Amino acid sequence: MSEKEKILSASDIVVQFQLRNKMLTAIRHVSLDLYEGETLAIVGESGSGKSVLTKTFTGMLDSNGHIESGTCMFEGKNLYDIKTDAGWEKIRGKKIATVFQDPMTSLNPIIPIGRQITEVIEKHQGKSKEEAKAMAIQLMEEVGIYNAAGRFDEYPFQYSGGMRQRIVIAIALACHPKILICDEPTTALDVTIQAQIIRLIKDLQSQYGYTTIYITHDLGVVANVADRVAVMYAGQIIEYGLVDEVFYDPKHPYTWGLLSSLPQLGIKGSELYAITGTPPSLFDVIKGDAFAPRNPYAMEIDFEEEPPFFKVSDTHYAKTWLLDPRAPKVTPPQQVTTLHERMQEALIKQEKQEGLI
Amino acid sequence: MRKYIWGRILRSIISIFLVTTIAMIMIYTQIPREKIFKNDSTYTKLGGDADAKTEYKYTKWEKLGYLDFVEQKDMCAVYTGSEYNACMEVDSDAVKTIVQDYVNKGYTSAVYTKNGLAYVYKDKPVLNIVWNFYHNMFQLDNPGRVTDPDNPNLERKVYAGKDYAGNFAIMCSGCDHKYLLYFDGSFPWIHQNFIMFSLGTSYPTYDGQLITDVIGTGQGTDVMTQKTFETGQTSKSALLLHSCTYKQTSTLDRLDKNKFNDNYAYCSSQKSDPSMISQSMLFGTLALLIAYVLSIPAGMSMASHKGQLRDKIGTVYINFMIAVPSLAFIFLARVLFSSLFALPDKFSILGAHDVRSYVLPIITLALLDTSSIMLWTRRYMIDQSSADYVKFARAKGLSQREIFTHHIMRNAIIPIAQSLPSNIILTICGAVITETVFAIPGTGKLLPDAIKAYNNQMIVALTLIFTALSIFSVLLGDLLITWLDPRIQLVDKEGGAV
Amino acid sequence: MSTLENKAVNPAADSSKFVFVKMDKDRTEHIAAPKYSYWKSVFRQFFSSKVTIATLIVVAAIILLSIFQPMFSGYDPVAHKNINDAATHFITPNFSNIKYWFGTDSLGDSMWDKIWLGSRNSMAIAFIATGITTVLGVIVGAFWGYSKSFDKIMLEVYNVFANVPFTLVVFVLMYILGSGFWQLIFAMSVTSWLNTAYFIRVQVMIIRDREYNLASRCLGTSTWNIIKNNILPYLVSVIVTSVSRDVPSFISLEVFLSWLGIGVGEQVESLGRIISFNTTYMSGTPYLFWIPVAMSAVITVTLYVVGQGLADASDPRTHM
Repeated sequence: MSEKEKILSASDIVVQFQLRNKMLTAIRHVSLDLYEGETLAIVGESGSGKSVLTKTFTGMLDSNGHIESGTCMFEGKNLYDIKTDAGWEKIRGKKIATVFQDPMTSLNPIIPIGRQITEVIEKHQGKSKEEAKAMAIQLMEEVGIYNAAGRFDEYPFQYSGGMRQRIVIAIALACHPKILICDEPTTALDVTIQAQIIRLIKDLQSQYGYTTIYITHDLGVVANVADRVAVMYAGQIIEYGLVDEVFYDPKHPYTWGLLSSLPQLGIKGSELYAITGTPPSLFDVIKGDAFAPRNPYAMEIDFEEEPPFFKVSDTHYAKTWLLDPRAPKVTPPQQVTTLHERMQEALIKQEKQEGLI
Repeated sequence: MRKYIWGRILRSIISIFLVTTIAMIMIYTQIPREKIFKNDSTYTKLGGDADAKTEYKYTKWEKLGYLDFVEQKDMCAVYTGSEYNACMEVDSDAVKTIVQDYVNKGYTSAVYTKNGLAYVYKDKPVLNIVWNFYHNMFQLDNPGRVTDPDNPNLERKVYAGKDYAGNFAIMCSGCDHKYLLYFDGSFPWIHQNFIMFSLGTSYPTYDGQLITDVIGTGQGTDVMTQKTFETGQTSKSALLLHSCTYKQTSTLDRLDKNKFNDNYAYCSSQKSDPSMISQSMLFGTLALLIAYVLSIPAGMSMASHKGQLRDKIGTVYINFMIAVPSLAFIFLARVLFSSLFALPDKFSILGAHDVRSYVLPIITLALLDTSSIMLWTRRYMIDQSSADYVKFARAKGLSQREIFTHHIMRNAIIPIAQSLPSNIILTICGAVITETVFAIPGTGKLLPDAIKAYNNQMIVALTLIFTALSIFSVLLGDLLITWLDPRIQLVDKEGGAV
Repeated sequence: MSTLENKAVNPAADSSKFVFVKMDKDRTEHIAAPKYSYWKSVFRQFFSSKVTIATLIVVAAIILLSIFQPMFSGYDPVAHKNINDAATHFITPNFSNIKYWFGTDSLGDSMWDKIWLGSRNSMAIAFIATGITTVLGVIVGAFWGYSKSFDKIMLEVYNVFANVPFTLVVFVLMYILGSGFWQLIFAMSVTSWLNTAYFIRVQVMIIRDREYNLASRCLGTSTWNIIKNNILPYLVSVIVTSVSRDVPSFISLEVFLSWLGIGVGEQVESLGRIISFNTTYMSGTPYLFWIPVAMSAVITVTLYVVGQGLADASDPRTHM
């Protein structure tokens, strides 16, 4: 892993939001490294801070938010030093591009599709109108738009949801960015389209050579596309590692809870598992482990001291007191330990079905 | 799409029709008939002569369509010579039977207080008036229209030829107008007289004049220019020769005969000032334009500096303008500006040809419009700035300015077009107040004047005009949006609130 | 990834802490947000702005004065008691006698008396007309938004009458009905209620289909409870906004119509009539003209500000 270049390195980020008269701490001391060419998935519930974190990489925090502390090194410079829009314009779209969740509203409804692609090309690459148009049409074909030249002047409402998301991806890739942030890009789409889009992003990655950050709450997608995964809870990363490591050898009780909640892998005849309770309010200062109140494996110390990251392997770290040598030995729930087998079974079943077809 | 447009046009016409008809019915049934004579100078001149007054009233009412009026002399018209004289005696038998006939048919009988002669009258249903109004609205001029007992050999034909200036024209002998189709240098260069639009005759103010003339013809003094008439006479005259209509032979005078070879000697004159409707349109359009020019940038500026000082000041201004009574504001503005800038505070002081007369009223009317445009613009800009596509555009790396000009502005045109009709209506309403206060001779001032004078015909005509203007501007707004918004163009939408 | 190594945790002292704790169900479901009461929040929000409070005091003063002063003033708008006593005419405002605070007019009537009676009538007209418009508009609008068949019919009616210029219709109506206090109220109400109804209809349609209402219905909540708890709080803000716009606009209309002579008529005192009567004195004795004009502006602006404040306060989205 250390042979790969670190393309982005964020350390000790604290992000706060001013809401009326109160201060909400959305990101509480997060550090993250991104390696060139990989796909990193960030997983977590709504409100865990996954979107906010990536927004800081492009300076897209809402106006009532600010980066309280921390740095984010990219191309030798600290991104958080950029204070002006003009400064961010050199990064956004050009170096770091974003694909948002809802393709219905990401595109301007009264401007033709082609124009929305070419304006990015014209701006960042200084191409002429004709050159940009040719490049845009080629892009459209690459993302799978049939009859791209003919559809160049059409409007978004003439495209289906899946096609619009392809256009959004095309726009994002138009300037060959180094990093592509995908913020739940398939949540608003049909399941069948989801698979296509995920596949598309993956294929284009090998072609264009960008690094992907995938934000999602869907573990199935993570299993499909990610090289590494980071699990976020209450504004912190609580476990991260290679996908296999986190899926088959998770160490944080929250990760156990997440994996146990997968309905597809539920054990027939037993109750479906769910993590009780709700995440804590980020308005208050949290003492100890944020997950403690909901943690069936919580210990006294979880309520008093925040756990540090414990090393599981060179690539796998988890932030739980359970990994402390003084903690009692705990076996993860059955759903977690048998996960690997049941996934194999499910896969074989699926292949059988396809094979039979 | 086409079906949609035709549907809307039909609906608009029905609206105008319904509103005007309801207004007409209510006016002619509810307004006491006596009131219309208050401002009639002829009536007041009749002074103490009760009989003359009664006759005048009933004749007028008949003319206006309220009732049917038959006098003794009409009843006796069946007789001639000595029988006629016998019939015309007070309380004669002949008359009595005739009167009884009428009474049996539902008429009310009465006698003149002084001379004792009899008369009968019967109310006509108000729908009669309504019918006449619409029936007379559009008429075709044709060679059979003119009846002149003194000119039995009047040729009746439509022919093509050259007009007085040597240009091609289609002319008519026997129609009301001499020139049915003609060309000249003024917009729209081709003019016609064969379809005539009439909104009735005005009474008691502008007595006898066609309402369309009152509203549509120039005001002020005559403009004399050197003209050559068809008889060869050259003199200074204000007459507009293309407008000449048939004048009864019995009323032709020497001056007419010196100028014209035929009976078409009743022509309108060129006036120095614009017509009432041009005045109001000029005034209203300018005010609306200025209102937009001022308000949109102001609203945008407020939106981009939300919460800051200029936003706060703007909001105070908007709230003030919405709340303060229009009348109070107009007086305030008038006093302030006229003393600050030495501008005339009444239109008539400097007249229609001095630019300074226009400044105050236009600015006042414009300011009245600004509050709603500013409020809306600000709200729209704020909403758009947090729209998803704007976020995406930012993430693409576009600058604030680029997003603003290429994205937000494009989208802004649509709601601007959408708000245009309601602002036009607002301007029409505002113009009524402004014109009255500044005494501007336009259609706006005409309405309160007509109301004070009980000029029912004018009121009905104005209702029609204003309603038509409003409803068609709404239609226009819809069509504009359909044209501008690509989403609507190609998608056929059904129903819904318009 | 950079890691946070063991912080200052004393290994020996804290080994005892590594024992399991029974999970407390209540703790997991702890909701951090404070308890919310709608009307309390409205109250709190409304009185949080100093400007609103100050304006409210002014409004209260004006309303109280206009209700009570005419009761005790003995002023009769038709009698003109001092018409023959030239000494009482055109007295410029001075503080010698409360009746002369606003001076006297050309007929010797106290402007102080006239203003308060006129304000009372002008405000009464506006409030009653607004009341009728709002009640009628809300009732019809609510049905309109709820029932699809009624919607169809009403839309046709609405499309015919909606786009007719309001001011002009009131004009013609006043002409037909003749001037007078109740005629004016009728004319204003009849032309405005449809717009209010449409406005309410749109709002009701938006709320009706919101998921939380569907959810309530699925859970078996009675229609009345849905209206009371889900829809009403949202509508309150909407209705208050509409009212806060209507009242000043009606006062403005009354002032203009009465100024023209087709408003309240000769028998009733109103601000518009006072202004109309004194328009000729604008240059000679300006106080006669400008005091009623200023009064009308003060009334409308203060009412509007208070109304807006209430509308903002009752909008649940501003409660935090």
